[in-house]
Amino acid sequence: MSNPWIAIGALALVALAIPLSMMAVSSLLRPSVPEQGKRAVYESGEVPTGDTRIKFNIQYYMVALLFVVFDIETVLIFPWTVIYQDAVANVGLAEALVPMLAFIGILVIGLGWAWRNGAVKWVRSPRAQAQRVEQ
Amino acid sequence: MVVDIAGFQVADWVALVPSLILGVTAMLLFIVDSIEPRPGTSSNTVLAGLSTLGALGAFLVAGYFLVLGVGQPRGTGAVDLFNGQLVVDGMSLFFVVIVGSVTALVTLASYDYLEGQEYQAEYYGLVIMAATGMSLMASANSLATIFVSLELSSLPSYALVAFLKKNRGSVEGGLKYLLVGALSSSVLVYGISLVYAASGSLQLNAVADALAGGSSVPVGILGVGIIMVLLGFAFKTASVPFHFWAPEAYEGAPAPVSAFLSSASKAAGFVVAFRVFLTAFPEVGGLAGGDPMVDWVTAVTVLAVVTMTVGNFAAATQEKVKRMLAYSSVGHAGYALIGLAALNAPDQGFVLGASMMHLLVYGFMNTGAFLFIALTEHWGIGRTFQDFNGLSTQAPLACAAMTVFLFSLAGLPIGGGFISKLYLLAATAQAGSWLLGAALIVNSALSLFYYSRVVKAMWIEDPSADLEVDSYPSSLYAAVVIAAFVTFALLPAFGLLSPSAFDAASVLFG
Amino acid sequence: MAIQTQYFLLLSAAVFCIGVYGILTRRNALVFLMSVELMLNAANINLVAFSFHHGNLTGQVFSLFTMALAAAEVAIGIGIVLVLYRNFEDIDVTKAATMRW
Repeated sequence: MSNPWIAIGALALVALAIPLSMMAVSSLLRPSVPEQGKRAVYESGEVPTGDTRIKFNIQYYMVALLFVVFDIETVLIFPWTVIYQDAVANVGLAEALVPMLAFIGILVIGLGWAWRNGAVKWVRSPRAQAQRVEQ
Repeated sequence: MVVDIAGFQVADWVALVPSLILGVTAMLLFIVDSIEPRPGTSSNTVLAGLSTLGALGAFLVAGYFLVLGVGQPRGTGAVDLFNGQLVVDGMSLFFVVIVGSVTALVTLASYDYLEGQEYQAEYYGLVIMAATGMSLMASANSLATIFVSLELSSLPSYALVAFLKKNRGSVEGGLKYLLVGALSSSVLVYGISLVYAASGSLQLNAVADALAGGSSVPVGILGVGIIMVLLGFAFKTASVPFHFWAPEAYEGAPAPVSAFLSSASKAAGFVVAFRVFLTAFPEVGGLAGGDPMVDWVTAVTVLAVVTMTVGNFAAATQEKVKRMLAYSSVGHAGYALIGLAALNAPDQGFVLGASMMHLLVYGFMNTGAFLFIALTEHWGIGRTFQDFNGLSTQAPLACAAMTVFLFSLAGLPIGGGFISKLYLLAATAQAGSWLLGAALIVNSALSLFYYSRVVKAMWIEDPSADLEVDSYPSSLYAAVVIAAFVTFALLPAFGLLSPSAFDAASVLFG
Repeated sequence: MAIQTQYFLLLSAAVFCIGVYGILTRRNALVFLMSVELMLNAANINLVAFSFHHGNLTGQVFSLFTMALAAAEVAIGIGIVLVLYRNFEDIDVTKAATMRW
């Protein structure tokens, strides 16, 4: 029985060789006619508008931050939900439930604070307004 | 689980009350700020008062527990919580006392320093959350809880250093602190993963048990892991090689934050280092006799000598007082590392206890010195040595306090710093490590030179014509004077506190 | 066929070194944060692999905590990079040198 990795290596070689050879052959065969429409950035058929590196409104960052908080919260809650039934059977409802309630409670205080401080309020930024007028 | 505290049968988590007080205070600060969030509407007095009360509460409860014998052999014995993830013993309470007192001084002083600033609630919230992390670091008994609590104290600190967000120095300091901190925390967590690879456990006692077997342990992986964990702690304690954030962050940060980071954060870093190396790796380092598998004692000795020397020589060449204090804080990290480096001594509890006492005294004298800088920043006088010329003609009380701090930092018998350095020297003598002892003496002599430059400027030089102190902020003054009083009082009262440090330390050596 | 544990160790060491290389050579603060993420994830590979090797779940659970803290660190980091940009008009870490490096 030969090493099974040989087959994988051969497959990888073939996988590399096919696209490379296709590109090589087509570059040899095709005529070279550069033109404006071919060089333009492809944006799903739309007329391209400006550079990719534009400034985003800072409020996307606020929303993204809140998303990250609750995204990560899910990661930490998930293992707890998996063992919840067993935990209740083993240590009782209070010890299984209260720590998670405390954890969520702390996050709720944080969310409430962020809410009251206007992190989720979508205010008009003067700079974004000015850019829209220019267009 | 029930423990007996002062005759009352209470649940075991009561031993954790000092840390819980800090955590609840942080939550209360956010709730208070949520009630009236527009800037300037939350009363600054309420915010500063609440955080000072919380920190003071943690300090008093921890001190009271220490007196009652909670977590110590004469009382309840070490209280294990959450399957040994946290432990409350003499050492953890001792460091909560340090963290709580420094935090209380800093929040008290911030009341005047932050006058007219925006985002005060955020500031106090971040300080108290960082303090919560530091007090949990003192109790953490597993590499997992150590990492989480270390980050809980680091992340608010990054934001605090960059708190003056329109000030270029503050932002620059915050950036450098963040970059070095992020790097070193990833080094630490990689080291933790390697220790886990070698031992199959994260809880410190279990790690020690797994490594005690000896023969089947992968020494290479373990050695790299231990060195990387040591480097991670070097960041938190501002020791070589991860010390170079310290001068930038301390100089750029608001001065009360510099005081907080250089005293409380450093002490918390040391308690974690003590606990990890003495609970998990004593046999690996050859402390229980026999050849060391991974000789971390030598590694720490090298770090201690280099840290002292680098910190003090760099401090001697500075032109700005705050930056000089920052480098001297690096030097003091080197002194405190003696607690780990001189463990070859017969009485290991004495060595570690001397280091703990030095951190306690240092907590007061260094906080006081940085708060004096906060006072000068409040007055708007410059940052260089010349700018301090003749300051004593305007503010003699503050200058007298600063003199106590500086001479105590240098190790003159005017404050507790004298005795704690003497104990450290005795510890090196006991260990027979002439290199450490010589480095300690030479560096202390050198430090006297640059500390006395400030004293000379304040008392002897003539004031420049435009030097004028127009206000005497009462809470900032109170914090400086309290710190000076405690620093001075620790000279006669040193013997009252040192037994608890030595007891707490010797328990770790079973 | 289970892959032997030392290959995971090699993989994580490689990822860690890529992260270190990125930190040493790049000057963009955001790339710096990405490199730190790489290093943290290298540790996660180790933790998960050795969790399997030792047959306990400690490492896997700890890797969840590492991920959560990495996210928190980046959240703070991006906040600081934002104020850096506002003060220095650049996110080059070597440009922010009003004091000294």
